Amino acid sequence: MTTPTLDEVAQALSQMVADKMDIDVASIKADSSLQSLGLDSLDTFDLIFSAEDHFKIKVPNDQIKIETLHDVSVLVHKLTIEQNK
Amino acid sequence: MSIILNRRRVVITGLSVVSPLGNTIADLTQNIFSGVSGIKLLDADFVDKLDCKIAAQAHFDPADHFSKHTYGMLDRTSQMALQTSIEAIKDANLEITDQLKPRMGVYLGTGMGGANSVEEAYIRLYRDNASRLKPFTVLMGMNNAAAAAIGLEHQLTGPNLTFSTACSSSSVAIGEASRQIRHGYADVMLAGGSESLLTFGTIKAWEALRTLAEQDVNDLTSSCKPFSADRTGMVLGEGAAMMVLESYEHAIARGATIYAEILGYGSASDSAHITKPSIDGQAITIQTAILDADIPSEAIQYINAHGTGTMLNDVTESNAIKKAFGDHAYNLSISSTKSMHGHLMGATGALEAIITTLAVYNNKLPPTINLSNPDPECDLDYVPNVAKTLPRLNYAMSNSFAFGGTGASLVFKKIN
Repeated sequence: MTTPTLDEVAQALSQMVADKMDIDVASIKADSSLQSLGLDSLDTFDLIFSAEDHFKIKVPNDQIKIETLHDVSVLVHKLTIEQNK
Repeated sequence: MSIILNRRRVVITGLSVVSPLGNTIADLTQNIFSGVSGIKLLDADFVDKLDCKIAAQAHFDPADHFSKHTYGMLDRTSQMALQTSIEAIKDANLEITDQLKPRMGVYLGTGMGGANSVEEAYIRLYRDNASRLKPFTVLMGMNNAAAAAIGLEHQLTGPNLTFSTACSSSSVAIGEASRQIRHGYADVMLAGGSESLLTFGTIKAWEALRTLAEQDVNDLTSSCKPFSADRTGMVLGEGAAMMVLESYEHAIARGATIYAEILGYGSASDSAHITKPSIDGQAITIQTAILDADIPSEAIQYINAHGTGTMLNDVTESNAIKKAFGDHAYNLSISSTKSMHGHLMGATGALEAIITTLAVYNNKLPPTINLSNPDPECDLDYVPNVAKTLPRLNYAMSNSFAFGGTGASLVFKKIN
């Protein structure tokens, strides 16, 4: 699998958030806080779960320190590089 | 001061269903008094692998009522329960003020809770060899998920309990909820039940118990035949049923429409056998409810029977009614509406409580359909095939009995 770019990760995550929260993907900005998008802690776990499935990665519990969608994108992008070597 | 002296009247002011006989009270009313069956060929991709291919399904699409975000974290059982809670409050025309919230609770019955979610999780784990499960799996599968979803939706901070006594779960929930109001712990309660267990695994488990009806080869919709000599068992159903209960004073103060009063509730246990019903246990349940209602047993005019359609239940229940009522058993009218809506397990008591309420409200008795071949051992009046109208229906009872032996009877009274 080709490692996705940060931009590709961000786009895929935005689409996941849009699908889960029933919101327009165009309304989601990279630096949006997850809270402002309506995600609570459970929704965030669910988003991480979907990202793990989609990108074939495993997010360690101690790395889930995220506030914005951008934080998630950076974390997921980093793990795709580390875990797809 | 004794509990009896503290007794407040409890009335029913809101009703809602998601059921095999429709998702509005108007449709349910029309169908139960017209003898319409909701039993059909099960619409499921695994139907060919079943011995018993019939069921009473509810036609309910969560996307018609909720956002994907809301329904995505709820089992079908919770989705249906939540929808009926919203509609019951609307039907009651009840405004949930900040003052009311701590005085309003939720009592719900369910037999298997989030059966769909649990089975989906096991499929992922055991069949698909998944290494992990969805984050919501526990929250969707737990038995109190539906009651919790209702409490959250309406921000109710009164008592919130889930009752799981198999087929009597939601009758127990309604009875216990009425006591919360009667004894002053709450002013308003949402009380009912929800069940959705038409999954491959659950139906297979029921098949193994050999209690499910054989399909009527001439007419699938006539497969459930309570009290008939040719009955072969029960038909599984699904749905949710919800009542708004409130103290009489609370209802009158806000000018609510009152469907009926819950006058009595009795619960007792067979403690005889895990599946085999006992005449004594059922008779004690009935007598306890009548004692609680504080009326002579001769006042009861109609019983909505548990009436599953199994050989054993229907004879036992008929004999229990004779034991509890004596000669009056022959003056009563009794019907099993399961002949139309099937057995909704943990939700069935609530659906039948609503049907009994509608009977009292309309002075009309729903029939037992498919009763053309009377069983000599079931020799009471079961309102065969056609609804009956009474000049006035003052007192009615709804019976629920269960695997595990917990019985519950509710007594309803017409409001003058």
